[in-house]
Amino acid sequence: MILEVLSIGLIVSAILALFLDEMVYSVAALSGTFFFTALLYVLNGAAFAGIFQFAVGIGTLAILFLSGEMLSDKPAKKTSPTKIGVLIGAGVALSLPAFFLSISGSSGTVDTSSFGDSLWNLRGIDVVLQALVILTVAIGIAIILYERRNGGK
Amino acid sequence: MDFVILSLVMLSIGVYGLLTKRQLLKVFISVELIAIAATLNFVMLASSLGVGLGEAILVLAFSTDTAVSAVILALLVIVSKKYGTSDISKIVKLEENVESEAEA
Repeated sequence: MILEVLSIGLIVSAILALFLDEMVYSVAALSGTFFFTALLYVLNGAAFAGIFQFAVGIGTLAILFLSGEMLSDKPAKKTSPTKIGVLIGAGVALSLPAFFLSISGSSGTVDTSSFGDSLWNLRGIDVVLQALVILTVAIGIAIILYERRNGGK
Repeated sequence: MDFVILSLVMLSIGVYGLLTKRQLLKVFISVELIAIAATLNFVMLASSLGVGLGEAILVLAFSTDTAVSAVILALLVIVSKKYGTSDISKIVKLEENVESEAEA
């Protein structure tokens, strides 16, 4: 039962994050999405994934709050309670198929390797991703330097 | 409870937002929702089969996602400061005006 409630919360918060007019409320709803996803992971036995999702979510949300406050244009009017009710209803309706439909997966051989083993087996991808992160940092520094050189233009 | 359909619904919401929203931050939120849908699918399927691979892929995928998010936000701040708005349609119009003035 708790998983169903969390799934409804996940869909509703995702819809609110997308359709609320004020950016700060939208980011607050996105925090709900991260929170419900992390709880779903933990309750399904993927505790490490839940903690990681939570940590990354907090970082993303902090930056989004700042940039949302800085960049967003103020909406002409506030979101009405009726619209919020409609959005929540739409979210609940959209989460119903996940309860009543079911897809049967293939029952092949299951590799019951642990998280640590799996991460070790994926170390090649890990190295590539570290290179990608370093490339991202380089791009970020290039953007900052470009902006400083062309500042005010 | 089927998490494949749950992640499919999340993916649909994200794609809908990506196609219809004009504010840059909303587009970014849509990308985040699509990333959540993809990782939800990985982790739930793997944990239901008792495989640790899903969690490992989530760690790697979110590392990449965070790096990409940082670049997107940097570009977003630059574009918003340059054009004074975060509305995609207004930015396109402003850019077209600049190009037509440059040609004239």
